[in-house]
Amino acid sequence: MGGFDESSLEKNTTLLVGSRGAEASERVSLPGQQGKIRITEFLIVVAQLALLAFVIRQFQIESSAFLRIALLSFVGFMLHSFLPLRFRQPFFLLLCFASIGMVFGLPNGAWLVGIGLLLIAICHLPVPFSARVTLLLLTGTLLAVFRVDWLHAPWSRAIWPILGSMFMFRLIVYLYDLRHEKEPVSVWRTLAYFFLLPNVCFPLFPVVDYKTFRRTYYNDDPYRIYQVGVDWMLRGVIHLILYRFVYQYLTMAPFEVKAPGDLVRYLIANFLLYLRVSGQFHIIVGMLHLFGFHLPESHHRYYLASSFTDFWRRINIYWKDFMLKVFYFPIYFKLRTWGTFQALVTSTLIVFFITWFLHSLQFFWVRGSFLFAWQDVCFWAVLGLLVVINAVYEARHGRERTLRKSSWTPRGFAALCLKTAGTFSVICILWSLWTSESISAWISLWSSLGEKTAGTARLFPTLLVAAVVLGEGASRIRGSGISKIGQPRPEFSKSTAISIASLLILSLAGIQEAYTRFGSTAATLINSLRSGKLSRLDNATLERGYYENLLQVDRFNTQLWEVYTNKPLNWLDVQGTGLERFTNDFQQKELIPSFRSLTKYGTVSTNRWGMRDRDYERQPSPGTFRIALLGASSVMGWGVQDKETFEWILEDRLNHENQGKPYAKYEILNFAVPGYQPPQQLKALEKALSFGPDVVFYVATGREAQRSTDYLIEVTRKGIYIPYDYLREIVQKVGIEAKTAEPVGLRRLEPFRDEILVWLYRRIVQGCRERGTVPVWIFLPMTIEDPWQDDTATLFQIAREAGFVVLNLIDVYKNQDIKSLRVAGWDTHPNAKAHELIAGKLYEALWEREQDIIRPRPSTFSQQSGSQAAGRTGSQTTGGIVKDGRN
Amino acid sequence: MEEINETVKAYILKEFLPGENPDELTDSTPLITGGILDSIATLKLVAFIEERYGITLQAHEADVENLNTISYITKLIQSKLSSLGVGSGD
Repeated sequence: MGGFDESSLEKNTTLLVGSRGAEASERVSLPGQQGKIRITEFLIVVAQLALLAFVIRQFQIESSAFLRIALLSFVGFMLHSFLPLRFRQPFFLLLCFASIGMVFGLPNGAWLVGIGLLLIAICHLPVPFSARVTLLLLTGTLLAVFRVDWLHAPWSRAIWPILGSMFMFRLIVYLYDLRHEKEPVSVWRTLAYFFLLPNVCFPLFPVVDYKTFRRTYYNDDPYRIYQVGVDWMLRGVIHLILYRFVYQYLTMAPFEVKAPGDLVRYLIANFLLYLRVSGQFHIIVGMLHLFGFHLPESHHRYYLASSFTDFWRRINIYWKDFMLKVFYFPIYFKLRTWGTFQALVTSTLIVFFITWFLHSLQFFWVRGSFLFAWQDVCFWAVLGLLVVINAVYEARHGRERTLRKSSWTPRGFAALCLKTAGTFSVICILWSLWTSESISAWISLWSSLGEKTAGTARLFPTLLVAAVVLGEGASRIRGSGISKIGQPRPEFSKSTAISIASLLILSLAGIQEAYTRFGSTAATLINSLRSGKLSRLDNATLERGYYENLLQVDRFNTQLWEVYTNKPLNWLDVQGTGLERFTNDFQQKELIPSFRSLTKYGTVSTNRWGMRDRDYERQPSPGTFRIALLGASSVMGWGVQDKETFEWILEDRLNHENQGKPYAKYEILNFAVPGYQPPQQLKALEKALSFGPDVVFYVATGREAQRSTDYLIEVTRKGIYIPYDYLREIVQKVGIEAKTAEPVGLRRLEPFRDEILVWLYRRIVQGCRERGTVPVWIFLPMTIEDPWQDDTATLFQIAREAGFVVLNLIDVYKNQDIKSLRVAGWDTHPNAKAHELIAGKLYEALWEREQDIIRPRPSTFSQQSGSQAAGRTGSQTTGGIVKDGRN
Repeated sequence: MEEINETVKAYILKEFLPGENPDELTDSTPLITGGILDSIATLKLVAFIEERYGITLQAHEADVENLNTISYITKLIQSKLSSLGVGSGD
């Protein structure tokens, strides 16, 4: 059983895939075997693949790597179709290896394949089965040691998620089948099974069953198999586009849930995000069809499940089958002497426990750390219990099955709709628990039930009912309930016509010249669906992720999670440099003075005052125009080296091009600190004013009001004293305490968001004016696709009304590829190129507003005027701005 | 062989497809991939086969390759009985 049987090579290339394949093989007529190709059908499939490639490109489906792999597989399909059958699996394997090389490059690709071959070889060692399992476990442990960086691996970390997804589950299935298999093993088939073509782009990959993989190889008419593949890839693309709509337009943050209608929308949108996984799985399985692997469906109308067992059978069918085969049946068969009921309940519960454990293990290979969260435990435990109860009921009372199209009665249809809506609702609730940041955050969602439902909010429950009725109706009309899985697919011509029509519509929708004719609203919508950008919520989370170890990025099925999975474990984050120290007050942290750290991007150093900057004297020398710069990490220059920050570049340029015009010297002091939120800038301003600046630049990057309330919640929950009466009273007024859940706090503070920001800005302006310092508010967009446009107009208005001189840099990245201006995909700080652009734009803006900002001050050229000197001297004491007062 | 076939078919019709036209359940109707035999139904069928024919099935035998059609089931039972030295009775 252990070794490869070379004689099986030829056998593998025959159509009969085991005795049970005989029935299917009777229908099969492989063109390759006969040395002929059905040219019309071939060309129809090729035309559809061309359209599909166009749609994938236009809608930027998944990653750019996926487009390359899709093109490779489509071209590969054409060549593959002309090959004699015996060469097809070796050719497929060649494509698999080529895809790995295309994505990872030669050295890392070779490591991935090498490790894989080692694992497969262990499965076939001529030693007892238990010894092989032990060896595999030891090898897995060694790889885990590399994964957590206890030992340095000579390959890129990027290969871990793919290596994990290729071997973690498939090795279990393969060993299981190897132990019980009577068929000889084929080298090509085994290698193809593990290095499956699209796997290199998808860390989440369906657990393909080895026996099914073997059994279904060309077990039907080849062109019918290919057409099913095209249909499923198309379906996958549609799922992914729908997912984008949900992700961009329907998802809500927990604190935005204020009424029952919001709650319904929140719950449904959360569950609908799973479309991403089902979309990917359809594409994966569809692509394998192009090479003759007639695998079964991976998902089957799971949103229309009418019971919990039905849901378990419809969603991720490959996982369910894997669990049944490797765990459920073996456990049940061992326990059945206990009695049917006990064995059924125990084995089902064990299966759900294993499912939870394996999901955590999967996370380990993807991210390098285990996932343990009570939400996960609760989700799998509750789902397991529901399935057990449902299974016991079905065991005792049976369930409806039919060989024909179900007969339609109004009562039966209504009952089905009710069951479906009930199942969907419960799963939505469970899903929201699974994806929540914490159990307390999840519980806080339900407080919205006490609120009145707004008119528009009633829309979602209505939509839910309509969707269920329509979905069930369509399902009935097509006569394809769960009991019809596996029945013959529609004929080639019918299926092809539907697919071609759909592909043409999608292709047109993907062309800008075409969709802009549908009107501005539709054009904007379609345009937003054409890229896989992060949603406003995930952008906010990503931004916060630099400063907090948020749990929710650990979860599957969000794009944010994917962004984080690409982040190397040892990525030098702000905390990692040791750049900051805690202050034990409202400010919480500051940069350590005279610190120097060598990062991936060069030196990060601070001067004796704790600024990421050159050294300056406490007071400016006569004839110096001094600017104090306030901001967060982007302003501090995270991700670039000292001399690449826009502050450094701008200061150099001011001095080179304007010396003596009108000032002898220009200085910009960088007081920015990573992670500083608007309320913390009050403290930074105190420090800045003590250095006697002529101007204070306050740099805002958007979401100022939201960040302010976020910070007030944070300090309150941490029990940090708020030294400003106004802020402290407002927090007390809305009843926020240390134990208040974050979403609840945010919800309560939301009505005061703008008011808080107005107060903050006025206070900054007042502090500056009192010392004769000009307050300048600068809007600097983030290096993301849609930089916080929702609240930008309000922000500008608040800043102007507070008395700031406003500089708008919103066009600073215009006509640039925004992705090329970030430090990395998971790190949207501006890179060196972006800093250059910012410096240039700011320089221009500065001179455009010269009269307001750099107005000549006669006293500056000789000696400081009395008022200015007094202001500067006064500011050293940080008097009025430090002490709180209503002023 | 024929007796096994008829017995299995009668059991499936009675247990899982009550009221269905027997003619619609053929020897090649897909039972597992067609959704008629889910995990619980599969276990019920296994228990029936073991009790009826005095044979023991292994967990790994409860799969598509052995139980997906009446024809496969019959062959499985037949081979088990043969290995026990028992004739199928047809």
